[in-house]
Amino acid sequence: MRVSIAAEKMSIPAVSIVATTFLAQARAFAKGLGSTDPVIAEYPGVPMIDSDDQLRDKVITNLLPRIIEGWSERTRKTQRNAERTSLEPGPRDIVFKGTLQQVQDFFEKRLWADGLPVIPPTIASVENFLRYTDRSPYEVIGICKPEYREATIWNIAVNGVMAGCRPEYMPVLIAIIEALVDPKFSLEDGGSTPGWEPLIILNGPIIKELNFNYGGGVMRVGRRANTSIGRFLRLYMRNVPGFRIPEAGLKFVGSDKASIGMSFNVVLAENEEAVSEIGWVPFSVDQGFARGENVVTVQSVVSITEPTYSAGSLVSNHMEIIAEVIGHALHYRAYNGIRDSKWFPLIVMSPSIAKAIADGGWSKDDVKKYLYDNVKMPAHLVEKYARNSAMNSYDLKEFVASGMISSEYYESDDPNRLVRVFIKPEMIGIVVAGDPGRNQSKGYTQNSRQGVPVSKKVQLPAKWQHLLRYFE
Amino acid sequence: MNQQQRDSTEPAYEVVWPLGKAVVTPVDLAPAILDLNGRTVCEMWNWGFRGDQIYPILNEELRKRFPDVKIVDHQTLGNTHGPNEKDYVANFPDLLRQHGCDALISATGA
Repeated sequence: MRVSIAAEKMSIPAVSIVATTFLAQARAFAKGLGSTDPVIAEYPGVPMIDSDDQLRDKVITNLLPRIIEGWSERTRKTQRNAERTSLEPGPRDIVFKGTLQQVQDFFEKRLWADGLPVIPPTIASVENFLRYTDRSPYEVIGICKPEYREATIWNIAVNGVMAGCRPEYMPVLIAIIEALVDPKFSLEDGGSTPGWEPLIILNGPIIKELNFNYGGGVMRVGRRANTSIGRFLRLYMRNVPGFRIPEAGLKFVGSDKASIGMSFNVVLAENEEAVSEIGWVPFSVDQGFARGENVVTVQSVVSITEPTYSAGSLVSNHMEIIAEVIGHALHYRAYNGIRDSKWFPLIVMSPSIAKAIADGGWSKDDVKKYLYDNVKMPAHLVEKYARNSAMNSYDLKEFVASGMISSEYYESDDPNRLVRVFIKPEMIGIVVAGDPGRNQSKGYTQNSRQGVPVSKKVQLPAKWQHLLRYFE
Repeated sequence: MNQQQRDSTEPAYEVVWPLGKAVVTPVDLAPAILDLNGRTVCEMWNWGFRGDQIYPILNEELRKRFPDVKIVDHQTLGNTHGPNEKDYVANFPDLLRQHGCDALISATGA
């Protein structure tokens, strides 16, 4: 759709071939790019499932006439977007007045909620949040694709209220959205079919100041800080970028194309005491910040591995199992990382595992290097998994020949040759958290160039300590 | 406020909008092309969803209807969804001008 709209801007008539299931998302994308009437030729059904004969028939019967019509039967329409957006409310406009239940119904009908009750965002409640930042409420932090809506301090507070956050979480909420709108993150890919979910990783003294859980059950709902802020991010992604699930029969288009999907992740706060005790550095230092700074990192998570147990005092006990179980679980998704030459899987390690590894003289970099060197898979499986997703012409030989990827991926014609799963050691993330009394690790698969880890410092207001004490 | 609201002893909440201002520049559709003879069609592909099988069939049929059409295929124009997608889209207008594109097909997906 992006290239089609770019062509239309150049006065070149364009037609986009879109499979049925992607129609709502295509229209949502087009609207955000300025076109309320994109010219689409629908491929009916699921192209990845059709036989060659079915595909041929659909191309000739459905696509061809629609493409020719799309070029030839069009009127030069003045888009009505400008008029529609001028009818939208201003930030402080009261859009509804009602009881708690009536507010829920109102927000639900407009797809402004997430299936859970929301705290009504009154002006007073929003202004409470604004006490915890020195920034102007109307400051525009960035533009959220695909609906091209402004991310502002004000609407961060509104969604924070709705999600059930406490006002003092506001500096963290702002840092999260700063990460989200950073072009490196690729927010516009937030509705892709793998259905990835952003994960917030938190470092710094703010973990204890705001009572985040970083121990047992760290990834469970329960603690208000971890849970409400995790919910806030998914709610914000629905409301401002527009990642709502399209619903048949509704007039609202939606750009969340998650096929099966997953739901919001609670905030993952690191156990920085445990990290210090074993002589490792916090995750935020790996991301380029100084120890002791309050830092938020947001990255995509597309799947989670088994809880993986490793025992014993020898480093090899732990590393072999982590490589065998977590490394192997990551095989399936390696094709994206290899194609993109970037992939940022994350391993969450309980403090006891990290300590056993550190006691063996290993640093985090040693762990990453071991995984990089030892986790490999047969080349033919990389191609098989890719071709069964949507990349039917995925070819490692072609990618190497074009210079797109390293020659290490095509050192021979042998389809069983082993190729590395991890792209670079420094792209592997390690966070120490979870029950210190249990020997468990878990892997979080990231979605290559979609949702690349972006870290932002949390900016505190000048009177932070005073504000914390005042609202205790 | 309706009667039910007025009769209710529950508090009423005056709420604001959770979205943000849309900053969209409207785009007009390009003029129509009625006859592709003597014109150039550019075919864009995101390297997914069997576009490499769709295009040869389309090209064969387009040439039957417009014998004098010129087609610049996806192999020439490159992957619209490759690792350097952002750069590709930014440089895309130059690519279309370079090939004298009169009409465009983009495949496949969203």
